[in-house]
Amino acid sequence: MPTANTIFPIHGPVDLLTRLDSPDPETKLKALREIKNQIIGNRTKKLSFLKLGAVPAVASILSSYATQSDSQLVDADVSTSSIIVQSAAVLGSFACGFDAGVRAVLDAGAFPHLIRLLSNLDEKVVDASARSLRMIYQSRLAPKYEFVQEKNMEFLISLINSECENVTGLGASIITHSCQTSTEQRALCDAGILKKLISLLEGSLSQKNATLESLAAVFKKNPEVISKFVGLENERAVESSLSQRDSSLESPGTVIKNNTESVFKFVGPESGSALSSIIELTKDRYARTRLLACMCLVVIRNASPNYLQDMGIKAKLVYLLLELLDDPGQVGDEASFVFSSLVAGKKDLQQLAFENNAINKFCNQLQKSQLHPKRLQGVLLALADLCSKLESCRLTFLSLKVLNQVIDALTHDCADVRTSACICLRSITRSIKNLCAGYFMNEMLVIPLIRLLDDPSVSVQVAALGVISNIVVDFTTRKSTFIQCGGVKQLVQLTKSMHSTVRFNALWALKNMMFLADDRCKEGIFLELTGSLLASLISDPEPCVQEQALALVRNLVDGCIKSIEYVFAEDGTLLDAVGRQLHNVSDEVGIQGMYLLGNVASGNELHKEAVLQQLLSQADNGAQSFVIKLLQSSDSRLRTAAVWVIVNLTFPSCPGAFGRLVQLKNAGIISQIRNMVNDSCLDVKLRVRTVITQSMTFGDGLT
Amino acid sequence: MKCVESCIYGAMSKKVITREEWERKLNDVRIRKEDMNKLVMNFLVTEGYVDAAEKFQMESGAEHIDLATVTDRMAVKKAVQCGNVEDAIEKVNDLNPEILDTNPQLFFHLQQQRLIELIRNGKVNEALQFAQEELAPRGEEDHSFLEELERTVALLAFEDVSNCPVGDLLDISQRLKTASEVNAAILTSQSLEKDPKLPSLLKMLLWAQNHLDEKAVYPRMNNLSTAMLEDPSV
Repeated sequence: MPTANTIFPIHGPVDLLTRLDSPDPETKLKALREIKNQIIGNRTKKLSFLKLGAVPAVASILSSYATQSDSQLVDADVSTSSIIVQSAAVLGSFACGFDAGVRAVLDAGAFPHLIRLLSNLDEKVVDASARSLRMIYQSRLAPKYEFVQEKNMEFLISLINSECENVTGLGASIITHSCQTSTEQRALCDAGILKKLISLLEGSLSQKNATLESLAAVFKKNPEVISKFVGLENERAVESSLSQRDSSLESPGTVIKNNTESVFKFVGPESGSALSSIIELTKDRYARTRLLACMCLVVIRNASPNYLQDMGIKAKLVYLLLELLDDPGQVGDEASFVFSSLVAGKKDLQQLAFENNAINKFCNQLQKSQLHPKRLQGVLLALADLCSKLESCRLTFLSLKVLNQVIDALTHDCADVRTSACICLRSITRSIKNLCAGYFMNEMLVIPLIRLLDDPSVSVQVAALGVISNIVVDFTTRKSTFIQCGGVKQLVQLTKSMHSTVRFNALWALKNMMFLADDRCKEGIFLELTGSLLASLISDPEPCVQEQALALVRNLVDGCIKSIEYVFAEDGTLLDAVGRQLHNVSDEVGIQGMYLLGNVASGNELHKEAVLQQLLSQADNGAQSFVIKLLQSSDSRLRTAAVWVIVNLTFPSCPGAFGRLVQLKNAGIISQIRNMVNDSCLDVKLRVRTVITQSMTFGDGLT
Repeated sequence: MKCVESCIYGAMSKKVITREEWERKLNDVRIRKEDMNKLVMNFLVTEGYVDAAEKFQMESGAEHIDLATVTDRMAVKKAVQCGNVEDAIEKVNDLNPEILDTNPQLFFHLQQQRLIELIRNGKVNEALQFAQEELAPRGEEDHSFLEELERTVALLAFEDVSNCPVGDLLDISQRLKTASEVNAAILTSQSLEKDPKLPSLLKMLLWAQNHLDEKAVYPRMNNLSTAMLEDPSV
């Protein structure tokens, strides 16, 4: 009970929960309303009510009154429906933007009751239930809706055809949440959902937004569905454009902009199609609608190279998204993500964005203090995509002096921000010019990056490895900075990670460190790694890890004769592991393995003999040498790598060359090479001729 | 043809349009009565003149609009204007529980207004408790609210609030600001624009006249309330 001094809250949570149990419907209703008013907009209150078990209590009221309302068929009692409306609203608020709440509502079994209430006779009950279900479907925790079952599809269509705004919105949210596979996309398309969705694009604000999101889900990576959509004639758009044209004939002096007209000019050949209704929404007065329309168009563009390719619309999308970035709220936060998906991997769009000052705009955002984590993450990712290919973008970024802000983001509380800061730095550190100048190899950057190798989040670790891989490709002698900071130890630790992506990326970084490193550096890394660990990585269950391990050893043995000795350490376990692995490998792994052997075969007599033994190890048992299979590969890069090994083994001025040539001939390898004199790949052809010339120096006895 | 001639023979001389000619042209512009009625209804509904809207709807036979929501919206607005913020919050939640659940800034501003009202009424202890329990967590969720919260709590530090640097918060204009923010949010949730269309049409008319002034002399509409066409002075 409230005391004289405390009037907030009027009723404490415990008191309110007791009132919910009251047999008097009036008291119940009041308690429900009060809970609703306390929790709406108030996360802390939601949490405290949640902990007291409010959700199951309200869910049970909903279910018992829902059953009552079913039996009353016509003219349900006013208080019955009010109680249902209020309890649905309470459950909906618990589920609104609050995952713990969604889980509680689902666990309390309220979901099927809310679905059942959609067919209630009272409009208000239907509206409140649909709204709450919509909240639930906005969370990823919502149960997946199985479209492919016929009954479910019928139900979904009935939702979308409803007169009630919240019910159609619910239908669209279900699609957005649950449409993931191309089978589901096709099923929705075949059921005629697209046509209905187009008409909803002309509905209310919330309908428009929900529909745009659902369309993006149906379009995603599905050119077939998109072409069906574009093929649908948008009758309403054509009609309205005609009527506007008529009226504009009557009043030529009109200054009112003919929107549809300009849209038609804008889309060109796609005019009149359903696409134009989405394009029109990019000019909507609500920022959220504009953003979602852009998102839809980006999804279409990315999936179908046939649509929206002209310069006008590209420039328009870049411009609109950069403008939306200025929105201080959620829309501005999300705009960067849509922008990223627009420019990711597309050089032409990155160039266009660059010309539109995109780098400056994103960097300006970074200079603001206390950015919302979501916005910071988006801005960093957008910069990462912008700078992924074009040096001009990277140089502009560096000239704007925001590198420190990105480095600060490496230690942000939020793991997603740390990850995106790394991804951004990875793009920036691709700048060869700055790498050569040793610009990135300084403690300010290296120390926080090395710390991230210990990060609890795997995706942060992987992203940090991505940057390190770049900065250690340092053409000067500054690799020591990284070693002094303890980087190598950390990287070697990560090659033992449970996660194959971490092992892969750690090896990648070490491989790059090994590239053209001096003897001391190589020795330091090898001592840390050890031959036996490398041997086990070469035999890793994941081919991508094998490839990186082999490439690392390839860089290790590249250079002076002394470094070749590394593969013979520990009784040659390393070389044996390479040989074993090459018996049955994919092309990518084979290429690295063969270059590795080629590098070893460039050494002294002992080295060459050891490689030869690896090549012939199985041939001794009468089986074909694996080299023959590699020489017959359809991948010319692999053929080149394999021929190189033979070139190095048969170099004529070496004393054992003749003996090796005889052995290779006996194993059928030389005749395989002779068959390749007219190889389609010029590189292969040239090396094959080198082998033949070298064998000729020993006379004809071989043929 | 005439226009072309004037361009060639005298770029400086403006085309003269007589009253007869102008009125004839105006008469040629056909505007549907339904559209006019819609414009008027739009104005009455957006501005919340429920009684007038009801009468107008009846007399003009304009498309039916559910005026109950307008009444509800005006009640919310009025509650904030009178300082009954809690009442306003309950009304908004009855109208559409989504509005305050998805609009943290608006929710914060309403809570802030509640705090202001407590301070205005000299309920210092309650104000402190409210700030601590209700507003502080919002500031933690979004740092941009902290500054405004600090400013509001600062009201408690002054003996004479009317003369303190944050005294403007107690001004009636603060209530009006909050009220219009709620009003706009409700309108948006109903897919309506927060401003009626009529004033923008008038703005467009003035803009068009200003542009036309550079090219022609014509019967100008100077007084918008009488809509009288004034003869061109040649």
